[in-house]
Amino acid sequence: MSQEDKLKSKIQAGEIVVSGVSKEYGANQFAKEVVKDCSFTIERGKLTVMIGPSGCGKSTLIRLLAGFEHPTAGTISINGKPVTGPARDRLVLFQETALFPWMTTYDNILYGPRARGEVTKETLELAEFLLSKVGLQEFRKKYPTQLSGGMQRRAELARAMINNPEVMILDEPFRGLDAMTKELMWEYYSALYEENRRTNFFVTTDIDEAIFLADRLFIMSNIPTRVRAVLEVDVPRPRRLLDIVENDRSNEIKMEALSILHEEAMKSFSRGSKAAADFVEAYSKRVAKT
Amino acid sequence: MLEILKKTMPFQVVSDTMLRRIAELGKRVAYDKAAIIYDAGDSAGDIYIILSGKVEHTLEPGVNARRPVQLLGAGDVFGWAALLEKFPHRLAKAVAIEPAEIVRINGDDLLRLLESDPDSGDVVMSRFATMITRDYTVPDLIAQMRAIHRKLHSSDIQGMNLTMYRLSLWLKSPRPYLMLIGFGLFLSFWYLAVEVWKLPRFREMPGLTVVIKEWLNPDPSYGLSIYTAEYYQHILVSIWRVTQAFVLASLLGVPLGLFLGWSRKFKEYVFPVFETLRPIPILAWVPLAIVMFISTESAVIYLTFLASFFATALNTMLGVESIDESYVRAAYCLGAKRHQVFRHIIIPGALPFIFTGLQISIGVSWFSLVAAEMVSGQYGLGYVINTSYTMVRYPTIVIGMITLGFVGYVTSAMVRILGDYLMQWRVRELALGGQ
Repeated sequence: MSQEDKLKSKIQAGEIVVSGVSKEYGANQFAKEVVKDCSFTIERGKLTVMIGPSGCGKSTLIRLLAGFEHPTAGTISINGKPVTGPARDRLVLFQETALFPWMTTYDNILYGPRARGEVTKETLELAEFLLSKVGLQEFRKKYPTQLSGGMQRRAELARAMINNPEVMILDEPFRGLDAMTKELMWEYYSALYEENRRTNFFVTTDIDEAIFLADRLFIMSNIPTRVRAVLEVDVPRPRRLLDIVENDRSNEIKMEALSILHEEAMKSFSRGSKAAADFVEAYSKRVAKT
Repeated sequence: MLEILKKTMPFQVVSDTMLRRIAELGKRVAYDKAAIIYDAGDSAGDIYIILSGKVEHTLEPGVNARRPVQLLGAGDVFGWAALLEKFPHRLAKAVAIEPAEIVRINGDDLLRLLESDPDSGDVVMSRFATMITRDYTVPDLIAQMRAIHRKLHSSDIQGMNLTMYRLSLWLKSPRPYLMLIGFGLFLSFWYLAVEVWKLPRFREMPGLTVVIKEWLNPDPSYGLSIYTAEYYQHILVSIWRVTQAFVLASLLGVPLGLFLGWSRKFKEYVFPVFETLRPIPILAWVPLAIVMFISTESAVIYLTFLASFFATALNTMLGVESIDESYVRAAYCLGAKRHQVFRHIIIPGALPFIFTGLQISIGVSWFSLVAAEMVSGQYGLGYVINTSYTMVRYPTIVIGMITLGFVGYVTSAMVRILGDYLMQWRVRELALGGQ
């Protein structure tokens, strides 16, 4: 069996159900409710993208899903089992690069299996396969600071995939990359997803990124966080950047998503959010152009 | 031809001599209209630079370029597959769409030439890589360039070699010579102020020539020079005391600091006490130390130990607190247990701060050693300084001081070298600019 097939045969796509989750910070009269009565399902084997205005509590939601924090009310479960803490069935890629700077690329990728004491001949083969998959064979002995931004993100994808997680959770992973690298990473990441159809949950503030990647799109309302709308992005795969730009269906979904986001931004604008004001301005220009 | 070469993106930055040598490698070739220069799948040997005319360059679909077809004119470079790591064959078809004059340069020859000047060679290759991904929109997986093999490539060196490499770089830089000038200025000021100008306040000090004469005297007037065995005994006794105190302070200080940073509860118990004791000067401890320890030797070591211990523990704690939360989260996510996070994340993550702490600590330990030796003890550099003062042997005081400065500098350099050796990743980050 080829490495490709071995990897595929092991994939178990998980399902995450979030029901009635609320999260408050602080206590009593100082309590601030960031997430309120939030319910949604991240479906098995789909790439779900969550988009919302900045500061809408998406990162809080990620920390809850990852198990670093616990909800004040409601439950989160993966494959029917409640989430109690961080575990390798849900791997999270955070905004900031979290490759360990004191380990080489290769040691970073193998960190998960080594920590759990699960290094077998098969794992080492898989590591080789993933290294070539993300194009970093030549860089196996380099330390993270010797890699470019795009390479670091690819190394992190490999470090996550070697653990064969049931759900991959990505919190704005391509933020801070330059425009060119970012677009290459979209194509790259979406090709990886198309190959092995794991459950992916991807959080972003970039509408183009969201439409390009998503099977389903969650549009979030502003604080307190809730799913405001769910759009099915029924654009065929594999997707290529040029096709998507010219695809009518995807542009239609984009306009629909933008108008919902606009409403949300208007609401927070009225509450005095600077980010929302910027968004409203940018959106008005965009609509005027089309 | 030189002018055209100078305008091309990869060669813009090379020196004129280099450019001339590159031009020497080139062969001018004329192509008729509609001539096929090469086709996809041909073996790739040369790169091409257009002098005049127009060329259509079509990348094959397998490359996944976003703009497969490009029209190239004078000054454009193509045929870069000759320089790619993984693709010895052409990835595109190039056709002259009007009569064209083109320079061909063999890729291997070019690489060999660039190897003779690896620094500008690297720039040329990285410009090629940028050009391929940006102008030809080829994925950067494909655009990996053949490497320039240099005799000493900084990223391939490990361990002690890296330290030697840095030393040789240092000797080549102007820094050591500036340092010598700095010392020269300091010594001449000392000489002039004391012995020539006889400035007020300096007049009474032992002069440079007096000190040097005494220091190098086989038969010293005050009994201490590099020819007396006593001199080395003092140095050795001091070094031995500092070593014991420093090792003890590190063995206790590093773990204490790690736990202070790691466990909030532990910190709440211990840190207030720690912070109350820390500012107490060593000299204030002297009476208690003498009461606590029966032998003067252990009292001296205890005093030397104290200041080092506080410096090490505090810096280690700050080191743990400086670790980015995302590393800890990532480790937990990947399935690490609490003790593994401590071993794999907390300790290496705090290492830069720990070594800063150790460098401060070795400095402070010399500091407090002298204070302790002045109070009690039979030997040691502090003892030399103190007894010379009471016996009015001023040149010997200065000999003791200079020796202290020198030995202190060497020990702290040793700690720094050890730190660099243990933190290769950080040396690269800081000293080699991520190379």
